[in-house]
Amino acid sequence: MPTGPYAEIPRVDAYEKVRGRAIYGTDNNPSGVAYGAFVTATIGRGRITAMDLSEAQSIDGVRLIVNHEHTSDLQPARFIMQHGFAFQSYSPVLTPNVAYRGQPVALVVADTLESAIEAASRIRVSYEEHPFAATLDSERAEPVPQAEAATAWPIDDIVVGDAETVYADAAVKVDATYTMPTQHQNPMELIGTVAAWDGDHLTVYEGTQNAGACKFGLAEQLGIPPENVTVISPYTGGGFGQKNTMQSQQVLTAFAARELGRPVKVVVPRRQTFHDSSFRPATRQRVRLAADSAGRFTAALYDVDAQTSMHDFFQSEHADTAARHYGYGAFRSFTRLVRTDTPTPGYMRAPFEHATAFAIESAVDELAYEHGMDPVQIRLLNDTDTDIVDGLPHSSRHVSECLRRGAELFGWDRRTPEPRSMVAQNGDLIGMGVAIGLYAGSGGPNRASVRATRDGIIEISLGVHEMGQGIRTAIANVVARHLNVAPESVTAILGDTRGVPQMLTAGSWGSASSIPAAEAVCEALREALDALGTNAPEGASPAEILALADHDELSVEAATFAPGQNRDALGEIDTGHVAPSGPVYPDFITYSYAAHFVEVRVEQTTRRIRVPRVVSVFDCGRVLSPRTARSQAIGGVVWGVGGALREAGEVDPRYGGVLNADMAEYLVPVNADIGSIEVGFIDEPDPMVNRSGVKGLGEVVLVGVAPAITNAIYHATGVRARHLPVRIEDLV
Amino acid sequence: MQSFSYARPASLDSAIATFAEGGEGTRLLAGGTTLYDLMKLDVERPERIVDINGLAELSTIDTSGDELVFGALARMSDVAADPRLADEFPALSEALWKAASQQLRNMASLGGNLLQQTRCAYFRHGEPFACNKRSPGSGCSAIEGLNRGHALFGGSDACIATYPGDFAVALIAFDAEVDVAGPDGERTIPVSDLHRQPGDNPEAETVLMPGEIIIRIRVPADAVGRGSTYHKIRDRESYAFAVVSAAAAVRLEAGVVADARLALGGVATVPWRAREAEHSLIGTALTAETARAVGEIAFADAVTREHNAFKVELGANVVRDALLIASGRA
Amino acid sequence: MSDDRKRTIEKRPWSITRRAVLASGSAVGALAAFGLKTPAMAQETTPAAPAAFLPRVLVSFAVNGVTQDIDLDPRTSLLDALRETIGLTGTKKGCDHGQCGACTVHVDGRRVASCLTLAAQVADREITTIEGLGDDEALHPMQQAFIDHDALQCGYCTPGQIMAAVACVHEGHAGSEAEIREYMSGNICRCGAYPGIVAAIRNAAQVMEG
Repeated sequence: MPTGPYAEIPRVDAYEKVRGRAIYGTDNNPSGVAYGAFVTATIGRGRITAMDLSEAQSIDGVRLIVNHEHTSDLQPARFIMQHGFAFQSYSPVLTPNVAYRGQPVALVVADTLESAIEAASRIRVSYEEHPFAATLDSERAEPVPQAEAATAWPIDDIVVGDAETVYADAAVKVDATYTMPTQHQNPMELIGTVAAWDGDHLTVYEGTQNAGACKFGLAEQLGIPPENVTVISPYTGGGFGQKNTMQSQQVLTAFAARELGRPVKVVVPRRQTFHDSSFRPATRQRVRLAADSAGRFTAALYDVDAQTSMHDFFQSEHADTAARHYGYGAFRSFTRLVRTDTPTPGYMRAPFEHATAFAIESAVDELAYEHGMDPVQIRLLNDTDTDIVDGLPHSSRHVSECLRRGAELFGWDRRTPEPRSMVAQNGDLIGMGVAIGLYAGSGGPNRASVRATRDGIIEISLGVHEMGQGIRTAIANVVARHLNVAPESVTAILGDTRGVPQMLTAGSWGSASSIPAAEAVCEALREALDALGTNAPEGASPAEILALADHDELSVEAATFAPGQNRDALGEIDTGHVAPSGPVYPDFITYSYAAHFVEVRVEQTTRRIRVPRVVSVFDCGRVLSPRTARSQAIGGVVWGVGGALREAGEVDPRYGGVLNADMAEYLVPVNADIGSIEVGFIDEPDPMVNRSGVKGLGEVVLVGVAPAITNAIYHATGVRARHLPVRIEDLV
Repeated sequence: MQSFSYARPASLDSAIATFAEGGEGTRLLAGGTTLYDLMKLDVERPERIVDINGLAELSTIDTSGDELVFGALARMSDVAADPRLADEFPALSEALWKAASQQLRNMASLGGNLLQQTRCAYFRHGEPFACNKRSPGSGCSAIEGLNRGHALFGGSDACIATYPGDFAVALIAFDAEVDVAGPDGERTIPVSDLHRQPGDNPEAETVLMPGEIIIRIRVPADAVGRGSTYHKIRDRESYAFAVVSAAAAVRLEAGVVADARLALGGVATVPWRAREAEHSLIGTALTAETARAVGEIAFADAVTREHNAFKVELGANVVRDALLIASGRA
Repeated sequence: MSDDRKRTIEKRPWSITRRAVLASGSAVGALAAFGLKTPAMAQETTPAAPAAFLPRVLVSFAVNGVTQDIDLDPRTSLLDALRETIGLTGTKKGCDHGQCGACTVHVDGRRVASCLTLAAQVADREITTIEGLGDDEALHPMQQAFIDHDALQCGYCTPGQIMAAVACVHEGHAGSEAEIREYMSGNICRCGAYPGIVAAIRNAAQVMEG
């Protein structure tokens, strides 16, 4: 079997996708399907006192209206971070409560979508209104020190040395506060469910990152055995963390389908997804960073206020990443969760790390200027071999190599350090900025099965979901190498509970958890083929061996887990739970790394900011599929541009909810926003974290893009942006 | 969306008769990019729709004469691509192709585009927001709310919603007119008079009478058009509404400005002509400094709100840049 | 799809034809050629008489060369008619308000947002969706270019991107990277495949323009 870097192969599902044949969840139209539409709450918090259904019921084609009076048999959802299955513990429509504006209060089901939508608009709801806190800054918002928050997996503040004293006595220091608004994932595929019952068996078609949680969560909420639920999600039209658990509409759709005795489809409108799904919480981060006269970081103090909901503690992991950016002499974090009347925030792509990098990497840039040091040099100087928090070695850490290679590709040496010192021929101010990013190298358990046939079919089932990251292509590439077959002969069954148990695909652990299992099951297949005793020549394919043995097919199974895990972890995924491991393993610590180099142009008159050029280099361990990895990396940089310059949920505190809840007003980058993006990979397998040498890529790709941009803006204009997104008015 | 009944007349006369017969609660559907959108939001709740897309006589584009004549159903993309318009009235062409996306420009008619409705979120997103335009007498959530996108000119205590269109802004700079047809025949309205400032009744957005249909737009083919631009500053590089825009045109004689036109978008309740600023230019040599001074005059009377005050400084520079681009073409 | 029909679609640089016709001043004739026969019109007696307001409409239009006769609630969008009634789910719903481009289809060769188009509006028109582009024997050059340049990730916006991209080339708006970026900005790709999309269009434009 060859080793070394993987060959570049085309995306294996691209053909289906360019022909419009890839079937996403709500593309399914089972016979007799009815359509659902939600009525949503117009108050910030309170209780429903009456609901007038008469007008709605008179609409032609209306078959069912589900509200809190009908749902008493349904169990509430449980929050994933309390060992449940849903993005939050709060279940709209199961009670007369309103926890936030925009939550569903009733589901109307009709023969046609048009009738359902009209009927929903004609339901009159009366409320008892309660005061509420809509934002991080609201007077009624409730800060809770995270270390005191009652949670299933408590997270303590980090204390390494006496950072307060060192900081107080330091020669060079910065003290700055960085703020970020709420942001919304906005995958292009809307959240939606098609639910169909066959007797007492429920089949759900859904674009999700977590078919397992949907299966077990639906069973729990509906009060049926999990084996009576099938969840099918071969393609997810983008997830970005929004689809990482059960959504509100799932149980209601399944319930309505059961009540009606016919399939029901609910596609949640874009505006409603802004109001009733997870989002990146608003944050306020204070960084105090000190350095000695040589530029070595002697202390960092890191205070984080992160938004959560009233009903759940969405735990902040900002500090865990912040502590690993550099080898600080001392470090102290203090995190508060600020409770607001919103849905529970969640894991939007690089959920904490994007914000953390903005704060830490901005502060580093500020300190570099304070010190008169080159921003790349100060970062190289403060790289570390050892984790300051746990005293463990890094399994691999090539961030300095990312910086050096990126600086070379970018042409960093052409930069003159003085702000406003570089001006383009058309008068635009040129800025060049750098930042690093890191993301936990997690892994987890995975089961795998593979079936090989004499006809050359290789069918592999893994607990992982394809949501555009290219996992299907990576699997094909790995299986092809291990079984000596062509990638196109490999069929991967993913996101489907009819296969092996499906674990949440998130946290950049998709490859690190599933690829070792894929390798293990290929190895098991090899052994089983060898046991056939055919004396097949070295390098024979399974089909050739099966033919020699006169066998039609052979199936084997395998299971793997992350370092430090045992079979108990399999029990978790077998029951729809999440069981990741890392980045702190028993003997080492694992992160993925990025170095981003950004050129901005700022028009002097209008202060328009453009990003014509980005160079990014990544250390994600072994690259399994060079082509899709490159696309994922480019996409991450696009996300960084959006995060830095475009995206902000706008909340009017008088009303709650989201004011700019559509794609015309919540601005994500368009094609014209994106210039040249050059990406590179170290492609060194991690020697410890798993047998495949693979760390994670999907999130680290965006971590650090935002501060690289704001650092470039500072270089261009002399204006230090400490709030995202940076817009025209911030520079006028 | 409320259900409606649908009619599709095949001639203008039939359309006028159909529109009249429909009476109150009847809306004309052209490209549908505003109306259907607002119907999906339940902001528009027509009982009857008159689909006028079959009126072929309203789709003409004639830029050959002393007057540019555009049928009201000519599509934005087709007009934007007209070669004479691009050469001799770049501001008009740019105002079209810098709006929306090519898909929407293929659909949207010029007449419908003039009547495009505000993007004010409090207007568009219904309950619980107060909006005098959507629900007269309910109040205005924007005045004390998130008003970054709201008007600096032409507002009232009842409404500060921004007129979002681009093409009308460019049209008023060139003294364009619309011909409208109704049950009582045809009449002509300057585009600058088409839209009403909100005053006490912001729900009345135009001076069109019940039953009237815009049938064509006429623009004097003035030489000032050649030295023009529609300079549109947005929060992203494309597919976004104007933060501030300026339609600017200048004609130079012997190095000094003989004619100047300036209209502003994204900052007013209606397409906003900055006449005082225009006058200040006449007889001057256009430089970066004088252009900036014109911009300051244009924004001198701005009434700012909590979140939109930056547009005074930005706007002055947008006018400056627009004038310099325009004079570079003059 | 037959070769004949594929040629019909390929050979339809509609916007150019239309502009040429309009410039020549014979637009009325050109538009009359649409054959705008709807049930509403069929009820007319004289040209000046009001058309009838109908609570439902019988509409006939061609989708990928196949005639569809549908009895419609006039509220129905072309998008929902394609997906839920006709069963062509390649065209996607991303926003339902003309803000994302995922629902892009061609109507008489021009790209439009099918979510903001009433199905009733396209009576007697020819609709092309992603399913009508290319066939089992050969992909459309744009589809092939999207594969070659990995101009997609999750694939959900891809049908709309490809339909927009084909039109972008036919319109003559694929002359430079900057022009492609501008004229493809109506199609949001949340995965961020924009650089690949631009490269794919540059490449496919060369093939399409032969």
